Amino acid sequence: MKSSALPTGLLQSLNVAVLERAEDQSFQLLGKAPAWLCHLWPEAVEKREHLHPENTFLFLEHFFEDAVAVWQRDEDASVTSEMWTEVDDAGGEWLLEAAALKLEGRTLLMLKFPTVAPEDYREVLQQSRELSLEHYRLNKEIDRREVLMHCIVHDLSTPLAAMKGSLRMLLDDDLVPEEGTPLVNIGLRQTDKMRQMMSEMLTAFTGPAKKEPAPSAAAVPDLAATVTELVTGLAPSATLKGVQFRIETDKTNGAETRWPVVGETARLERVLFNLVENALRYAPSSSEVVIRLADEGNTIRFSIEDAGVGVPKSETHHLFRKFVQGSGKTGQVGLGLYFCRITIEGWGGTIGYTPSTLGGACFWFRLPKPSVA
Amino acid sequence: MGIMRKKICMLGTFAVGKTSLVARYVHGIFSEKYLTTIGVKIDKKSIPHEKRPVELILWDLNGEDRFQKISKSYLRGSDGYLLVVDGTRRATLDAALTLHERARETLGEVPFVLLLNKADLVDEWELEDADWAPLQARGWTILRTSAKTGTRVEEAFDSLARQLVHP
Repeated sequence: MKSSALPTGLLQSLNVAVLERAEDQSFQLLGKAPAWLCHLWPEAVEKREHLHPENTFLFLEHFFEDAVAVWQRDEDASVTSEMWTEVDDAGGEWLLEAAALKLEGRTLLMLKFPTVAPEDYREVLQQSRELSLEHYRLNKEIDRREVLMHCIVHDLSTPLAAMKGSLRMLLDDDLVPEEGTPLVNIGLRQTDKMRQMMSEMLTAFTGPAKKEPAPSAAAVPDLAATVTELVTGLAPSATLKGVQFRIETDKTNGAETRWPVVGETARLERVLFNLVENALRYAPSSSEVVIRLADEGNTIRFSIEDAGVGVPKSETHHLFRKFVQGSGKTGQVGLGLYFCRITIEGWGGTIGYTPSTLGGACFWFRLPKPSVA
Repeated sequence: MGIMRKKICMLGTFAVGKTSLVARYVHGIFSEKYLTTIGVKIDKKSIPHEKRPVELILWDLNGEDRFQKISKSYLRGSDGYLLVVDGTRRATLDAALTLHERARETLGEVPFVLLLNKADLVDEWELEDADWAPLQARGWTILRTSAKTGTRVEEAFDSLARQLVHP
């Protein structure tokens, strides 16, 4: 019959280092040491006794608070640490885990790799975060390009209209010698062509919500749900600022809980984020930001009011134009409200500003319901 | 007289630059490559002090998101913490404020400093003065740092260390 004692190389092959705690609170290495221990803590392999792993692995000093509680128990018990990363002299990273055990009266410390394969875990986590960052960057880039495209098209329209008008006047008022007429006509045809191209670009830019087939009910954005999620995300900032959000709806019977509107959820979130963050920024401490949703039959009206200083009357007429900043405002390029306007109008809605009865600003928009779009 | 040891935790969501700030402060290096931290990475740095040397034990905790939560046990025994925000991502401030609340629940009132990191990318910042003005009004110490250029990194750690040594 073979011996029932465990093979001496078992722990080594499992990549586990086992140490036993002595009465003087130092440790003794048991069995053969795994290769990684020789690499990270060669002293332990050389001395084997009177070891203090907490001096090499600083994390253990923290873990020993839990471990001692286990080691002092009379019955068998164990506790496992959280993961931690050790960095070797070459910059290599080693993900480790510790376990403290009380076993048949002996006090043991195990150092090992985590149960999950560290490289797989790291790779999945790394990839998910890189994708998350890339997604965020792409969204920002799309926003920037959309707004830029809209600005370029609109900025070119005005001088082009002037060029066409001038050329037309040259012909209509007989200001061009006969031999020059074909050249002016070429100029007129080219301006028409450019206007057509710009019109197509604008349609392509603002068109998706109209051109795409009717989305399924699940894909239709729910205004109330989107608002609630956004407000929840901004709650920590609001709390610290001493500002409270209040959401009011005019649906009180609970029969209809959805607030579907025409649009696309990701862009609707960006519109709402601009408006809600704006209100939060200007709301004074210990005040309320009030968000209202109203069912108007074929449309839904959203409004957000704060008790800040509001917008000076002289600035209200161009608030939704591009590159407009409120007085005293820095750090932003003034495209937020412009983005809101072109997005809402692209979906067949309207947007505007009125002074709030709370004393500050009231921004509102109105969007059609999907069935009437 | 022995060394005075102080445990400092780095708190913030993922990819705000916690590991880079520690690498800049302790080793004077910076890498453009983003490598996610798993669990915790511990480093230390000794700083001179008038009476006895102070050793800062820096706990670089994993960034919190839906894939990886910060264990409360990592915070235990912390003397102070650095809250790190990425100025180019607005949502990282909200994440930091949530972590701040959790740290307060676990540690009570201990010194901390808010770092608005990635100051070298200020043209891409989504955060602006009005976002942190209410926090400043509450007496928070707030510094704009850049782990890449080293701007105010030393000052950030030293500022917290001073609060820990002279509470």
